[in-house]
Amino acid sequence: MKAIRNLSVFALVLILCMTLVCLPASAHRVVVVGQVHEMQVMAYYGGGAPMVDANVEIYAIKNGQEELYLTGKTDAEGLFYFEPKIGVSEYRAVVEATGHKGEEFVNLTAGAGVAGAEQEGTGLPLMQLFAGFGYLLGIAGIAMLLKARKMEK
Amino acid sequence: MVHISDGILAPWLLGSGWVITVAILAYALSKMKIDDVPKLSVITAAVFVASLIHIQFGPTSVHFILNGFAGVMLGVLAYPCIFIALTMQFFLFQHGGLTTIGINTVNIGVPALVSYLIFRTGTGLSIRTKVGNTKHRMVLFGAIGGGLAVMLSLAFVAVELITTGEQFLETAVLVVGTHIPIIAVEAIFTGVIVGFFATVAPDLIHKR
Repeated sequence: MKAIRNLSVFALVLILCMTLVCLPASAHRVVVVGQVHEMQVMAYYGGGAPMVDANVEIYAIKNGQEELYLTGKTDAEGLFYFEPKIGVSEYRAVVEATGHKGEEFVNLTAGAGVAGAEQEGTGLPLMQLFAGFGYLLGIAGIAMLLKARKMEK
Repeated sequence: MVHISDGILAPWLLGSGWVITVAILAYALSKMKIDDVPKLSVITAAVFVASLIHIQFGPTSVHFILNGFAGVMLGVLAYPCIFIALTMQFFLFQHGGLTTIGINTVNIGVPALVSYLIFRTGTGLSIRTKVGNTKHRMVLFGAIGGGLAVMLSLAFVAVELITTGEQFLETAVLVVGTHIPIIAVEAIFTGVIVGFFATVAPDLIHKR
């Protein structure tokens, strides 16, 4: 009888000890999943005017393979929102409105192309403007040269 | 709106655009004289920059085209002018597309030639009208040419967009509707400039 009581006390102590030891560490493995809930696509024309009511196609890219994921239309501010697919971090967004078309690759792990969007200013592209005038001068010069050579002959 | 981007139209349409453009370019350049080059360059610069001037109207933003103006000022040479301007607009401002330069030049350049024909026929009319003297007729037909060229360009674009499955009437109404201010402004602009040149330097206006 005494042996049984001793054994049960021992078992009780053992269980208590185990509980005490195990308490701080939960038996469950903790998995934290960060999920981006919503992606925003912004479409605007050069000059800064938003592309309103434009057709949007979102392609999901997984392992280099592209498949059409969603289609929709931009709102009054040229914005389109979509929920990303779990496990897919690369997308290609194609926006099209009456003959105008633009596309942008979006990579969730690489900052969502915001840098590119910010770089494209909405003001006058002065450098390109002057470059254009320069080219024109060059073309005019070449044209005149060629014509002059023809006249000499 | 008139700059169609890459990857929208079918290859046969892009191809025929290039064929027409190359043909008209070859013809126009063969007609070009050395004296025309400076004027061609200046007008090309104007057309090139014009597409940067945007007007926010309703849901879309529209920009100047100035093809009617080019037509009235340059005649047949308006075609190379628009070709060069469009090519530079693509490479420098990313307007339109590379494969579509041919068809875009047709869309903008052919109406320019039409506006030149209207201008030439109109100013050459010997019928006595209320707008009797040549300068008044130049202003009137310059304005008509300037406005009509834009409208024709829009019609061309709308027709081409049918092939992509867009509804013609819907697209045409949308495109023309949003461009009404541009049509009006370009008509007035062309009329005024032509009137100005008719007074100051009549030689600058294309007559042939």
